Amino acid sequence: MSAPFGTTVLEHFRRPRNRRPLESPTAVHEAFNPLCGDRVRIELRIVDDIVREAAFTASACAICTASASLLTERVTGLAVAGARAITERDLALSLDTNVPAARARCVALPLDAMRVALAAR
Amino acid sequence: MADLLEQLETLRATEPRVVMATLVAARGGSPRPLGAKLFVGEGGGGRLLGSVSIGGCVDARVVEQADRLLAEGRARELVTVVVDDAEALELGLACGAEFDLLLERIALSEPDPVVEVYAQAWRRASTGQTTFVVTNLTGEFERRVVSDAGAPGRGQFIERFAPPDTLVIVGASDVAAVLARLARMMGLRVVVVDSRERYATADRFPGADLLIGMPAEMARPYLAEGASVVLVSHDYRHELPVLREALRAPVRYVGMLAGRKRADAVRALLRDEGLSEEEIARLQAPIGLDIGGREPEEIALSIAAQLVAVREGRPIARRDQHPRVPAPA
Repeated sequence: MSAPFGTTVLEHFRRPRNRRPLESPTAVHEAFNPLCGDRVRIELRIVDDIVREAAFTASACAICTASASLLTERVTGLAVAGARAITERDLALSLDTNVPAARARCVALPLDAMRVALAAR
Repeated sequence: MADLLEQLETLRATEPRVVMATLVAARGGSPRPLGAKLFVGEGGGGRLLGSVSIGGCVDARVVEQADRLLAEGRARELVTVVVDDAEALELGLACGAEFDLLLERIALSEPDPVVEVYAQAWRRASTGQTTFVVTNLTGEFERRVVSDAGAPGRGQFIERFAPPDTLVIVGASDVAAVLARLARMMGLRVVVVDSRERYATADRFPGADLLIGMPAEMARPYLAEGASVVLVSHDYRHELPVLREALRAPVRYVGMLAGRKRADAVRALLRDEGLSEEEIARLQAPIGLDIGGREPEEIALSIAAQLVAVREGRPIARRDQHPRVPAPA
């Protein structure tokens, strides 16, 4: 499979961090892109307003999977307010690749899922 | 086995009464399994559905007998159709044979006890219980539905209704739509999983169970012995999560729509993820028998044919173990 993306995307796609279901999550949301079919579920275990664990399950493209992987790494240990403050741009920079405009939604999908999960808890 | 009740429903639209002919014994060989059924509509020009022989040579005789049964107003009759050696040669059969058939009149415009027995057996089988219909052919006619038939007694005919094997189709594509129809005709239970509800719709997949969500999670409960998994999404985002589980499950078959190059790339990704060579070798990709088709209907046909070949243990089933035959110039 040819790889138009950088090593960070490939690394997180091939060896995603935290790709598993959590045993007892306190906040969960599954986001879906109806156009491309990407689907990603973010699960968080929040204790005393701190994200103790973050994990994801996905049926998604390389960018979206890498984004979810990076996001779960990044929010683990953060206060909820800190998790909420993460932006699409933060994630895009972390991916360390030129994400085409048409694929910006792939980066944002895990973030959307996390935001809804946090809002709904 | 095709869905008996669906056949009866089809006939109900036009036929008030039919004869159900069931092949209950064959001597000298039979190209159809025992239990094969032919439905004959009333009135000499009534509809025919199903068959008790391949090609209809014996069926024609059965239709004649069924017409007679209806004309005489009889409920049932056990008949024997004899194809002698001279006739067999004429009919293209290797040798003569005898077929015993149970002919039964069935009312379709009102509740019928024969239909009710088979409906009961079908309902039980569809909930996962292997079920038997035991019919006494000699002495006093009797038919009952049981969970354990044991060995057939004298003059008994036993039909087995097992839960159908499941075909899990990943990706609600055009190929999937045709394959689902073929699989239903082959008597399989069809489960279609996709993350996109706009594709996985009831009008595209009549008679299939449609599951929308994370494909790997949707497919997981069906990855059991005897099941087949066909990935026709042509999209690694759905293929990889399903393959991680399907190749480690006790399913009969896992096939993926892909050219050789893409299939090898997917295998490499699976290898990276820690799947063993043995597990990866279970993946049939490119999928289907190599009949050279390109249209969705032709590809679906090649996949359906491969499913049969795998079930029957035919050497042709493993496409990657045969030399590639170049297409004619």
